[in-house]
Amino acid sequence: MKQLSIMVDLDRCIGCKTCIVACRNHHGLVNHETAMPEGMSHYLRVEGELTGTFPKLAEDHWVVMCQQCKKPPCIKACAAGAISKDAQTGIVRIDREKCTGAGTCIEKCPYGVIQFNAEGRFAHKCELCYDRVVHGQEPVCVEVCLADALRFGERELLLMQAEAAGKKLLKKRSAQSILYVKRAD
Amino acid sequence: MSESKWIPTVCYQCKAECAILARVEDGVVREVKGNPRARGKMCVKGMAGITTLYSQERLKHPMKRVGERGEGKFVRIGWDEAMNIMETKLRELRKRGEGHKFTYSMFPHSTSDPKWRFVNAMGGFITTGLPHCDSAKIMAHLHTFGCFPNHHIAPMYYTVPKGGVMILSGRHPFGCLDDACVPRDILDAKERGAKLVVIDPIFRTEAGKADWWIPIKPGGDAALFLGMCNHLLTKGLHDKAFCDKWVRPGDMDGLMAFIKDKTPAAISRICDVPARDIVKLAEMCAAAPSVCVDAFKSIMYGNAMDWGHAWSIFLVITGNLDNPGGQPMPEIAPMAPVAPVPPPPNLKELGYHRTGPNRSRFDHYTFFLQPTWYAAQAVREGTLKVFFASECNPALSEMGSGEWREAMTLKGRNGNYALELFVLTEIMPSETMKWADLVLPDQTNFERWELLYMPWWYNFGHTAAVCQPVVKPVGESRHANRVMIDLGKRMFPEYFAFKDDVEYYDIELSGIGMSMRKMLDGGAIWSPGTVGFRKYEDAGRFNTPSGRIELEWKMYGDIGQQWPSPELPLEFRRDADKYPFILVNFRTIFLNNTGAWSQNNAQLRDPVSGIDANPVLLNPVDAARLGIADGDMVTVASATGSVRLPAALTERIKPGCAGLIHGFGQTMGKVASRGAWAGDNELIADAGSHLDEQDLRGGEAHVSTRVKITK
Ligand code: SF4
Ligand code: SF4
Repeated sequence: MKQLSIMVDLDRCIGCKTCIVACRNHHGLVNHETAMPEGMSHYLRVEGELTGTFPKLAEDHWVVMCQQCKKPPCIKACAAGAISKDAQTGIVRIDREKCTGAGTCIEKCPYGVIQFNAEGRFAHKCELCYDRVVHGQEPVCVEVCLADALRFGERELLLMQAEAAGKKLLKKRSAQSILYVKRAD
Repeated sequence: MSESKWIPTVCYQCKAECAILARVEDGVVREVKGNPRARGKMCVKGMAGITTLYSQERLKHPMKRVGERGEGKFVRIGWDEAMNIMETKLRELRKRGEGHKFTYSMFPHSTSDPKWRFVNAMGGFITTGLPHCDSAKIMAHLHTFGCFPNHHIAPMYYTVPKGGVMILSGRHPFGCLDDACVPRDILDAKERGAKLVVIDPIFRTEAGKADWWIPIKPGGDAALFLGMCNHLLTKGLHDKAFCDKWVRPGDMDGLMAFIKDKTPAAISRICDVPARDIVKLAEMCAAAPSVCVDAFKSIMYGNAMDWGHAWSIFLVITGNLDNPGGQPMPEIAPMAPVAPVPPPPNLKELGYHRTGPNRSRFDHYTFFLQPTWYAAQAVREGTLKVFFASECNPALSEMGSGEWREAMTLKGRNGNYALELFVLTEIMPSETMKWADLVLPDQTNFERWELLYMPWWYNFGHTAAVCQPVVKPVGESRHANRVMIDLGKRMFPEYFAFKDDVEYYDIELSGIGMSMRKMLDGGAIWSPGTVGFRKYEDAGRFNTPSGRIELEWKMYGDIGQQWPSPELPLEFRRDADKYPFILVNFRTIFLNNTGAWSQNNAQLRDPVSGIDANPVLLNPVDAARLGIADGDMVTVASATGSVRLPAALTERIKPGCAGLIHGFGQTMGKVASRGAWAGDNELIADAGSHLDEQDLRGGEAHVSTRVKITK
């Protein structure tokens, strides 16, 4: 199977949101002049979990972007046939020309990552920076990640790297193409 | 075809001033990122800097107050009128022989910032956050081993060896106040096998990554470290060879006598860390190839000098000075003076703008800068008549916000304001603006020239970086440095004979064999890339009067402070019945504190990409006792003031503490004024008038505050 992927290292992600803003800048998601908090599109979000009670606590952070599903429900949901999984890269892409703005893909996405542009009436989302990766560059979030928590590459190779580094795959969270790993201990 | 290129410059969303690249496409900044030739990283605030640059809330032309101070009503004026207003008032002040009653609050970007030069020519003072945030650390290290670090001199985490111990004691380096590379460097060190120990009353992102979190009682850091010193010294686990060679003769004996009763068991009662943990940490440090310590919030409490002293002693007896993984000792690379140099005012003769019951005791303390935090007293006493401020927001950042506001509107018998002129340069609407007479539109780092040169720059010792304009300035904005150079040319032509800011920086750079041209050709940064280790061995001495490490601060013998006290700050030890909670105000990576440019940045106040709330954090155990549920509105009151905020219950915070993010509470600007949030400085006493312990223990720093919480 061909599948490009990002591996998120929970030992390193500090939930700083640098990737979110860099991604917005790169993809021109924000009108800097008129922007107001809430309602700006974003291709990534930070999640976290604090467990335990004082003083025995543990906390993880990670980012959620389009998971580049193996069998994308968004593709099935789109009556216009605007969404496809790229055969060469495994990246799920939305064709803006074909998109009718119906929004059914947004409802069907189990990860809640598809954004809607109300002005242009189209759906859009993380496509692993397709325009960069085809030129040999990493996705923007991977390049700028403050903590070097993200790694980009062929999914199978990332899995090998994780194993070599003694990292365990968080299976439930890694059900699709994006990988989430943590030190095995 | 459109043009797009990456241009090297410097970020200024916070004072870390990271070297960055900006992608400019057809005259518009589209993207930014860390400069890989420097340390390669840029944080979320920096990334959101483009939103500051292009926000429609940018101030675009000079404005003059109409109506009373505090009303925030202005009319647009031209630059000429603004310049004339400033010149007329400053000339009048000098004519009255009161040039020293002029103070400029700023954060100098180099030790030779042109604004600072103007202030010296005028005979006035500068005030910065530096005395408050750093003075205890700087003074303690300076007194003990003669080096000058400030809070931008974090330990060099990239030098920490496998097995080295990194201790963060009241420090939030993942919040990027140092260079944005620090989180990566700490995590890399951990992957090499270094250990991360976080000492903090709140479990934050660092604690989440730490090998060990120690929830200490706020202000207990001095105690904890003295307890460790006791264990190391009494068990002979200290670095004896290093101490024998470098510590001033007699000081080790003095230390042994002083430390005898600071046993882990005795100390444990003060800092609320179990004695066995104190012993365990001490032994972990003794066995490690290196230990580094960093502190920030903890070094602002009312016992900051004691903590700085204990910290310094700990570094010495474990031999962790200027070694890989230990405490860096930065050197100073001299910039060339731009002759003739205006002499600075004599602080000793003119005195600090400081009052308080024990003022004479405090006179022992000789920091080289005037503290920022006493504007209210200075206005009342008539020692502050003209106030300029740039890149700061004193209406929210001054401790005792209420008193500050009163002072700004205080009128004399003649009906005029006691503070005769208040000028503010600002990028976006700020709280302080409401009280200013003149508001001058400043420029972001994308629009201005600036030479960033600090002896304590993150690259340790020898680094300069150039901030260059990458796009045309917005509106009529002018950089504050240019404004002060223009004013200098009008008032003190002898000191401002150079052409402009760029020529000024050029002359300065000649001191290190550089020029602006060479800097730009070289990627806008200059760094020899080395810091060297154990430089005292080459020199055969430390930079102290005796040339040895001076553990005992003999100059403070007459006020009984030659050794550090383990006691908590006085403010934490009294009124515990009336105000049962210790206030822990803290910062996050998302906001540069009260800085209007980040408070009014839509991306930074967005819940997805920043933070939009500052509820008061309480441990569920405390909340249950008080009958408070998550989200309930509560009143947080101190002896100084009170605020009303929703409570957020979390296991993160040590019982007995109330957490509050610093920097909220602005009412100016569409973004910053969202939500009924409150500034922590409403609760914190204005050190100049309230505190009894106006002495050396706390240095400049006094944010120690107790509060009570009611529904
Ligand atoms: S930049 Fe990196 S560390 Fe920060 S939130 Fe994104 S993935 Fe996590
Ligand atoms: S730490 Fe962040 S905001 Fe501060 S200068 Fe660096 S990149 Fe800019």
